[in-house]
Amino acid sequence: MIIKLKLLLAIIIPCIILSVLSGCFDAREIDDLAYPMAIGLDKGDDNLLKITLQLAVPVAIAGGGGEEAPGGGGGTSTIVTIEAPAIYSGINMANTFISKQINLSHAKVIVFSEELAKEGIGKYISAIARGREFRPSMFVMVAKGSAEEYIRAVEPALEANPAKYYEMKLRAFDYTGFTTDATFTRFYHNIKSTAAQSYAILASVSKFDSSKDIDNDESTYLEKGRDIPFEGDFKAGSMPKVGDIKSEVMGLAVFDGDKMVGELDGGKTTSHLMVMGGFNYAFITIPDPIKEGFYVLINTSQRRNPEVEVSMVNNSPHISVKVLLEGDILSIQSGINYEDVDKLKVLEDGAEEFFKEEISHYLTKIIEEYGVDICGFGNNMKRNFLTWREWENFNWLNKFKNSTFDVEVDLKIRRPGLMMRTMPVPDSKGDED
Amino acid sequence: MVDFIKTVKDFFAFKEPKEIEQFVLKEDENEKPKPEEKSDKKQKPKQKESFISKLTSNNHQKEKEKEDKAEDEKSVGISKDINENLEHIKKVYNIPDNGDLVIREFEIVAKDKSLNAFIILFDGMSDSTIINSSILQPLMLLSNVEVKGKENDLALYIRNHLIPHNQVKMVEKISDIIDEVNFGGSGLFIDGIDKAYACDTKGWLQRSVDRPNTEIVIRGPQEAFTEGMRVNTSLIRKTLKDKNLIVENFKIGKRSQTPCSLLYLKDIANESLVDEARRRLENINVDFIFDSGELEQFLEDSTFLPAPQILATERPDRTSNLITQGKLAVLMHGSPFALIMPITNSDLLHSPEDAYVRFPFSNLFRVVRIIAVLLSLLLPGFYIAITNYHHEMIPTDLLIAIEAAREAVPFPSVMEILMMEFAFELIREAGVRIPGPIGPTLGIIGALILGQAAVAANIVSPILIIVVAVTGIGSFAVPNFALAFSFRILRFVYIILAALAGFLGITLGIFVHGIMLVSAKSFGVPFMAPFGPRTSDGIADQFLRSPIWNQEKRPDYLNVKNQKKQPEISRKWTQKEKKK
Repeated sequence: MIIKLKLLLAIIIPCIILSVLSGCFDAREIDDLAYPMAIGLDKGDDNLLKITLQLAVPVAIAGGGGEEAPGGGGGTSTIVTIEAPAIYSGINMANTFISKQINLSHAKVIVFSEELAKEGIGKYISAIARGREFRPSMFVMVAKGSAEEYIRAVEPALEANPAKYYEMKLRAFDYTGFTTDATFTRFYHNIKSTAAQSYAILASVSKFDSSKDIDNDESTYLEKGRDIPFEGDFKAGSMPKVGDIKSEVMGLAVFDGDKMVGELDGGKTTSHLMVMGGFNYAFITIPDPIKEGFYVLINTSQRRNPEVEVSMVNNSPHISVKVLLEGDILSIQSGINYEDVDKLKVLEDGAEEFFKEEISHYLTKIIEEYGVDICGFGNNMKRNFLTWREWENFNWLNKFKNSTFDVEVDLKIRRPGLMMRTMPVPDSKGDED
Repeated sequence: MVDFIKTVKDFFAFKEPKEIEQFVLKEDENEKPKPEEKSDKKQKPKQKESFISKLTSNNHQKEKEKEDKAEDEKSVGISKDINENLEHIKKVYNIPDNGDLVIREFEIVAKDKSLNAFIILFDGMSDSTIINSSILQPLMLLSNVEVKGKENDLALYIRNHLIPHNQVKMVEKISDIIDEVNFGGSGLFIDGIDKAYACDTKGWLQRSVDRPNTEIVIRGPQEAFTEGMRVNTSLIRKTLKDKNLIVENFKIGKRSQTPCSLLYLKDIANESLVDEARRRLENINVDFIFDSGELEQFLEDSTFLPAPQILATERPDRTSNLITQGKLAVLMHGSPFALIMPITNSDLLHSPEDAYVRFPFSNLFRVVRIIAVLLSLLLPGFYIAITNYHHEMIPTDLLIAIEAAREAVPFPSVMEILMMEFAFELIREAGVRIPGPIGPTLGIIGALILGQAAVAANIVSPILIIVVAVTGIGSFAVPNFALAFSFRILRFVYIILAALAGFLGITLGIFVHGIMLVSAKSFGVPFMAPFGPRTSDGIADQFLRSPIWNQEKRPDYLNVKNQKKQPEISRKWTQKEKKK
């Protein structure tokens, strides 16, 4: 009997303790919470920070209640901007006028303004890393101009859900190569690392209003020595495009410590991905190796992880990178039969030369101009040291700017697409040739 | 106050737990050195005696006396005087009041003597044709024919020559006759003999062998047990044609005297296990017992464990299969379910069909079933936990869908789910009780109220309907009804735990549930074997199913006499090819 009583008590007491001491106290129904999808941080006009929250409106997204036609765009999210001294105090203020409690667990992006990023964002980053509501997988972006403007410009056209919009758009580098997976974990890790530096996705609002205004003033094609800008020779904001979708992401913001020091365009971001081994596939324009003024388009993908070696040569680091790529031919504008075995080699060599040049541009830029190791070459360097202290004393981040490098690219064309052979287009004039 | 403090002190202070004598299925005798085995065997009867003597000494003295008296009455011998016997029978059966007892008086001629005789039987219980043609006719008509019998003893002479019926017992006690008559037999008394004849003339109407109702398979035999025990034993003998199949008879119920049988394979089943089952069956003290469900409750180890510790099956093929593994089966008259013991958790998750379909199919079944178990047990709790505590786990799109769906629902999600689960239980219970002709009405009401109206009226959110529906379907996919029942109960516990503390609560629940299951025993076999105490072939044979030619051993935890089921190579034809 006593045993039974004990057993009963042993079951009941934990239940009571659980329910009385802890039970339910932090239980929140989903519909009692408001979920910001994007958080924007600007430098405040009068206060330290200007916080912009883009809150999802579930009823509008789900199309329930029949209030508004689905896909209405603006109705699916509501945007608020508050000036406050810090992120949490801003959220506290927002809670007073937003009917539901703000929960940050589904925030997809955090956008810093360029101005703030150049001042240094370490204090905000550590606050975010400490808060347990933040998702480590959210993307870190730097908006040229103001973060608030960028978030207000985000108008999902194809989907009702802004969260999905961010997820899809920021994962698009898998098939464009123009941004990277600058997630918060990676960003924070690189900020604290002694072997790598951080980078964030560059975002902006389109600067052209109509197609007549389009110009290539801000394109980087001239410094790369090209006649015309290629698809990657732009940064966010200056893409030659107009349309309903005003917001743009392209390129990277490069950080030295917690301060932004420079920008990379889309093409350099592709090179960054190739060197890091994160490049999936993308359509890439390559100048025709034989006929000038014509282009070959190759669906390029990374065949194998790049081989990166870092060593000390003449007291300065030397980085050697070997990138292994493969490609499918998408288009041959010149009509030269590159599918032919002999000519294939010409095309491959041309493409290798092109990529080698691209990657060299990128490495020159980060080493000589910015002097920040956003690729994490330091991790390859680390293995040359026996103790942590030695490594710390070596001060890699400082030495990186003296690095030299050599690049090797190995590209194999695998498939010619659905055409086996390129034949010239016959017309009435060319019959005799 | 002092008492209270003492209880609290007792609760927290460590005390060595009292040793409770419990049956444990020990390692096979073959695996142990012989002297030990002997001592084991010697000890066991002692334990038994002490156990029984304790039981009886606990009883009040008066009851014991009463019992003795009843015993005396039962052991009344048969008198030579037929009238005395008749009087006695009439007294026992309260003749003027009792309407369906037939007493037929007649005369027979045996050894040139005319003797008075009477036969008693219950109308409707006995087969009149058999009694007429095999008992009455030969006695009354053929007794005149000269029979060359050498016997001097009249009783023996009558048995050997005058009653051509196939099952006749000569008995000396009236109680034996009464038992036989109560069970559809007939009793024949003849003047001048102090013995009577108990003839088995059972002939009541009973259901014929039918298709199984609760354990339906697509591939496999389509027979089920019926209410008649002998029909059931014959069904087993029919499938299990083995000379070592023992059918031991028991009678349970002091007054009902319900016949039961214990079935096992003599050269396979562990002896101590058989002894234990016999001991439990013999020591059930109850007046009446009607169904094996009651018997199960008398036999099982723990009443309060939600999971069943004895498997009830209505399939002769499954019973036979489990008997060949070295388990025991108990059949009971009046119940179309056989009780299998000992069982483990995985037995409850198996269906007889697993063995009949091909290897890939049965593995799919098993995986689906495990998922069904997890769903039916944990899904509602899981839903509550993530929607109340762990929002970051939900994909954002789903989160927004749930949020939009819940927007107009006035109740917290715990209330919502409890309401829906209760409504579902209601439909289930009503579905079983509802008379056949109005059955479809229930379906319509249930579907409309639960599926549509509740959502339309914003009482519950549509996502919750999916949760409840999947849970319900999951619980129907559990092959054992009793196990599904235990999950139905525990599901509510998990819902409450999840509502109290999210995943922490569910973890606590799984922890306590796991401890209960691992410590449980079914006839001395750990309930979670082969996973709880790890024995060989756990994953391959119990969780999943290995190919049939690879199932070489009987379950290790049963400690059977013959571990091997089939040789290493059971498909000899694969071997032949090589030799050539």
